[in-house]
Amino acid sequence: MAALLPPSGIRLGLTASDRFDAVRQSGQVLVEIGAVEPPYVDAMLERERLISTSLGEGFAIPHGTDESRRYIRETMLAFLQFPDGVEWDDDEVIVCVGIAAVGDEHVGVLASLARILTVPESAARLRAAERPEDVLAILAADEEATA
Amino acid sequence: MTEIQGSDIRKVVVACEAGMGSSVLLVTQLRDRLKGTEVVVEHSPVGQIPADADVIVTHQGLEATARGMAPDKVVVTFSMFLGDPAFDRVVGAIKEGTTLEG
Repeated sequence: MAALLPPSGIRLGLTASDRFDAVRQSGQVLVEIGAVEPPYVDAMLERERLISTSLGEGFAIPHGTDESRRYIRETMLAFLQFPDGVEWDDDEVIVCVGIAAVGDEHVGVLASLARILTVPESAARLRAAERPEDVLAILAADEEATA
Repeated sequence: MTEIQGSDIRKVVVACEAGMGSSVLLVTQLRDRLKGTEVVVEHSPVGQIPADADVIVTHQGLEATARGMAPDKVVVTFSMFLGDPAFDRVVGAIKEGTTLEG
């Protein structure tokens, strides 16, 4: 999982002025970890305007459009936590999992996330993670449990 | 609107804009719930829905595009990624062999 979601892509304790700022920051982290070229960030904003990527349980999964796949260098994820919450249509989002995917390598991590979010206590632990290691441990624990 | 019998459903396609985020999540959840059946669940960009799809599951914001791409197929729309009753409808029709409309 470290290749898909490197510790440098896990940013905790952030603030965002609104939903689109949070998406922009998610894209910026994907740029910083070498997952995407900068134009991908604009595609993420475009995609967010089309349909909200909020999943519920305080999580959103911003990602680009089909057309913007050409700006992806490598399939990777970013994890950004906004402890004060970001207003997101009718929801509040605490965590953005930014996605850059050319193949299906990230499906396992997203599947883990989906399962974690169906258990409210697990979702709360992931939202409240205080260290990058905790984020990775919570996601890895689910992978082991279902392997 | 069209309809299909649950027992005739072989492939469910979750169609999204990019096929890299939300649809991937939904495929996992539907596969989990349809374990033990022969039904195949795949994701695809809404512009590339495979011809052998029997049922298309898509966000309500993409409904018009999905229906335009596959006018003769059952299209089931949802608005929430977690726990939308639309998923219960699809799973229920397949497991109980009842009619699915959409």
